This record gives sequence, C-alpha cells and structure tokens, in this order.
Amino acid sequence: MDTAHRILHRLDRFSLAFGHLVAWLALALVLLTSLIVLLRYAFGFGSIAMQEAQLYLHGSLFMLGIAYTLRCDEHVRVDIFYRRFSHRGRAWVDLLGTLLFLLPLCVLILVTCFDYVVVSWQRQEGSADAGGLPYVYVLKTLLLIMPALLAVQAVAEALRAALKLRNPSEPDADKPAEEGSAWN
Amino acid sequence: MELIPLLMFVVVCATLVAGYPVAFTLAGVALIFALIGMATGTFNGQDLTFIPNRLFGIVGNQSLMAVPLFVFMGVMLEKSRVAENLLTSMARLMGPLPGGLGIAIIVVGALLAASTGIVGATVVTMGLLALPSMLRLGYKPELASGLICATGTLGQIIPPSIALVLLGDVISTSYQQAQLKMGLWSTTTVSVGDLFVGALIPGLVLVGLYILYMLGHALIRPQDAPAVDRAALGEEHGPLLGQLISGLLPPLLLIFLVLGSILTGKATPTEAAGVGAFGALLLALAKRQLSLTTLQEVMRATVRVTAMVFMILIGASIFSLVFRGFGGEEAVHLLFENIPGGVFGATLLVMALIFLLGFILDFIEITFVVVPIVAPVLLAMGVDPIWLGVMIALNLQTSFLTPPFGFALFYLRGVAPEGVATMQIYKGVIPFILIQLLMLGVLAFWPALATWLPAQIYAQ
Repeated sequence: MDTAHRILHRLDRFSLAFGHLVAWLALALVLLTSLIVLLRYAFGFGSIAMQEAQLYLHGSLFMLGIAYTLRCDEHVRVDIFYRRFSHRGRAWVDLLGTLLFLLPLCVLILVTCFDYVVVSWQRQEGSADAGGLPYVYVLKTLLLIMPALLAVQAVAEALRAALKLRNPSEPDADKPAEEGSAWN
Repeated sequence: MELIPLLMFVVVCATLVAGYPVAFTLAGVALIFALIGMATGTFNGQDLTFIPNRLFGIVGNQSLMAVPLFVFMGVMLEKSRVAENLLTSMARLMGPLPGGLGIAIIVVGALLAASTGIVGATVVTMGLLALPSMLRLGYKPELASGLICATGTLGQIIPPSIALVLLGDVISTSYQQAQLKMGLWSTTTVSVGDLFVGALIPGLVLVGLYILYMLGHALIRPQDAPAVDRAALGEEHGPLLGQLISGLLPPLLLIFLVLGSILTGKATPTEAAGVGAFGALLLALAKRQLSLTTLQEVMRATVRVTAMVFMILIGASIFSLVFRGFGGEEAVHLLFENIPGGVFGATLLVMALIFLLGFILDFIEITFVVVPIVAPVLLAMGVDPIWLGVMIALNLQTSFLTPPFGFALFYLRGVAPEGVATMQIYKGVIPFILIQLLMLGVLAFWPALATWLPAQIYAQ
C-alpha cells in the first residue's frame, strides 16, 4: 500500500469507528425518552434536566454522525444522471463537489461559529431554565466538532476520487452492505 | 437585483442534477454566491454571522427530536420481520375475496406506512415479498406493480410519518412568520401533532379509495385479480387465527398506542415516538429477532438517516440565509402578488412547482428549501396552515408516483422480477395517479376534510 492509500484507509477507519460509537446514542435516546414518559405518566414526575439530556443526546447523535454518514455515502444525491455516469464521471463529480462545496462549507462553519462557541465557554453558559443542565457551552461545541469531523472525511473522499481518476479499477467506498439506504 | 435570487435557484437546481450530495450542494452554491456578492457589493457579509444561531437552533429544535425515534422504530420493525408476518397473515385472511390479495396489500401498506413511514422500505419490502406471489397467483403485472408503488407512498401521508414531522415543523415556523408580518402579535400556533391529526382523515379516505378501486377492478375484470384459495397461501404457517394473532396483533397495538396517544393529546409526537421505538425493541425481543448485530444495524441506520436529514436542514438553512440576503423573500412575495387569481392562483402555482420539483428532489429537500420560502407568503394570504401541509404532503406523494421520474417507481424497478417490464409498471400506476389527483381536488374543495378533526380536538 502506498502512502495515499494508507492515509485514505486511516481516515476511513476513523470515521467508521467514530460513527459506530455514536450509534449507541440512538439506543440511549430511546431508553431515556421511554424513561421520561414512564416517570411522567406513572409517577407524575418531570425533570427539566432529563428533558435537556434528551435534547443533548439527540443533537450529538446527528451532529457527530454527519461525517460517518458521508463515509457510508448516504447523504442523498439527485442520482437521475449520476448513477448512469461512468466510473470516471462520478469520480469527477465527487472530487469537484468536495473541493468546491464541501470543504469551503466546513471552513465557513468553523470560521463563523468559532467566536460564538468561545464566548459561550468563557461564560460557562448554562441552561436558560431553572433546573436545566449547566452545559450549554458543551452542546454549542458541536458546531465546531461537526465541521472538523466532516472536513476529515471530506479529505478522505477527495483522495478517494483522485485515486479513482488515476486508476480506474480503484474501488468505491464500501457501503454498509447489510442496510442499503434506509430512507426512501 | 431581483434576478439574483432567481438565478441562485436555477443554478442550485442545475448543479444538483450533477449528483453531488444535496445538502452540501445547497450550502456550497449559496457560499459561492455570497462570496461573489460580497466582492461585488451586492451581498452584506454580516448576514453570514447569523449562521451559528441558525445551526444551534437546529441542534436545539425540540419538535424534530421525534425524527431519530421514528426512524429507530421503523428500521427495527423492518429488521425484525414484522412487515413480513403482517403481509402473509393478511394475505391468508383476505385472499379468497375477489381482488383480496390486492386489498391485503393496501391494508398492510397502510399499516406499514403508519408504523415506519419510510416509502422506499415499504415499496422494497412489498415488492420483494408480495409481487412474485401475486404474479404467480395470476394477478395482472400492471395492476400488481401499480398497487405496490401506490401503497408504498402512503407512508408520506398516513400519520405518524417522519415526513409530516418535518413538514409540521416548517409549517409551524412559517405560520408564526406570516402572522407577525400581518401585524398580529398574539399569534396562534400549529404543531406537528395538529398536522398528524389533520392528515388522518385524508389518509384514510385515500386508503378507502384505493380499496374501492381494487374491488371494482376485480369485479369488472376478475381475470386481472383472481380470488385465491386459502390453501395456496402458506398452510405451513399453521392455523390462520394463530397467525393473525401473532402476526397482526402486536404491530397493530403498537400503531394504535403511538397514534392514539398523539391524537388524544396525551403525549407529544416525541414521547409517542419514544414509546413506539421502545415497543418495537420489545417486539423484536419477544420474537427472538434481536441479536447484538441487529441492534447495531438498527442504531447505525438510525444515525445515518437522522444525520442525512439534519445535514439537509443545515444546508438548506444556509441556502435560505443567503437567498434572503439577496432579497429573495421580497422577490417571491412580489411574484405571488402579481399572479392572476389571487390566493387560488398562488396556491395552484405552488402546488404545480412542488409537483415538478418532486421529480428530482425528495420530501426532505422540498420541505426544507421550498416550503419555508413559499409557505409564509401563502399563509399570509389567509391559507389554512393544516390544510396547506396536508395538500403539500398529498401532492408530493402523487409526484413520487408519476412516471418517468417518480421515486417509488425506481424502488420497485430495482426489486421487481425481470419479467415485469418498466412500461407495465408505468401503466399500472396511472389509475392510482388519477385517484391521487381526485383526492387533491376533493381536498381543495372541502378543506374541512383536513381541518375538521383538529378543530374538534381543539374544542375539547
């Protein structure tokens, strides 16, 4: 394996492993929501902290999962023509899209959100509601982690597309075989 | 000046067709427009400083929390083969009736729609499970494939559906904006739950019309949809009653629990979705279909679908930020005021636009990109928000059925046996498209079909 492939492999493995870890948040969200419902209807007990924890789980679930979803090629495409393109044609679309749209987008989000998050950390911003969680600054940090993770995988995708253009027999990113596309 | 927003829209549509992921294309094109605008002094760079607030608003959006929970429930029910059991038990129950197998498909499709709300999954599941046996038992290929496509799209309209959660959230925000613009400061609200309630009767009427059509077709041309002897439908599954109880009852209970708690106002959609997801987990456990591998597959699929949906929301909100910065909102407003025919003309235009866009974009993109731009204007003209939401859902559902671009047709083509020609699928959906158009017309003339039930529930 040459250097380019080694880097690609590492980046891919990182995004996959991270995504598999994040997946457990889905189970946690289901269990916590059920617990909240049970406590509320059976015991008349409600807690703002628990509801906020639910929101934290939900927010983390998708913000931390976006790069993993890119790795699995499951961000929807309008594929009327794309799926009929040649191997090379698709590689060009992916390379140009990543360089012109995706990487600049990551930079845009990082740049515009940086001060916003820093200010929140400096204030150790907490919940606006009494009894809420005092960790709003942690939640806001997702606005920086998401684009950072996404940029890492974007580099991998650009690399994969470039390798495909150099060598037509280069494989696609392997999709999670067992699931197919779950939406639509 | 007004041309730039229009140009943005055209460029984005043209670029999307290249096939790069929608979410990134939306944001990327907007960013390029913003940079050019800043360089030429037509766009105020300050507008981009709203991005963190917008994004954090998405992270903190309470009503969209139902999305991952409904996805979890749907994927879990699919993986634990609940759908399969539903289908075989319903087919045995209804088979001996004229067109009975077809009616069984419609009923199961409606139940699956209510429990998973995922169009592709429903079409693929039924295409794989039911289409081969329908053909073997003498159903006309056109009728069988049209039926499966149409039934699969019911997932959009029958609550609780993920599509309605997303649409409900957007309509609710648009309604607030419209009222503020009209100078009403004590605003009334619509919620995701209201849209669920509003979509219930139109959804059921639609199912009724499908069944009527199936029955009528079977009576007039029995050779297209023969009655099937019960013995041909899986004696090996044991007595019919037992199979009905084990195959039909648990998912039915789950659906009624979820839907009932929302309709009676006892639970929010998020709570109901959480209970539904937990129920699906227990159901899979009880059926001994839950291994660690299955659980991981379900959790991972949940993350991917949810991340995909929210990334589109992020891309669309950056797009609309720039679109507004270029004065796009005023341009749309101006356009609508100059449409002949007032509210009716404007609504018709929006519906036609959404129908056409439904060929290339799917529900999420249209909900997040197009609806926030057009809905506030229509609502400010006095259109009822629940009615508008149900009309949009129904309209998109029709669009997904329409050849040659309808999504449902692609999914069925992907799994249908080679012997079924693409042309047969296209021909088969035509009667159902007509039913959809009829339903749209009926709802346009009797908005009460969508607004009556929510009003009743409110009155309590």
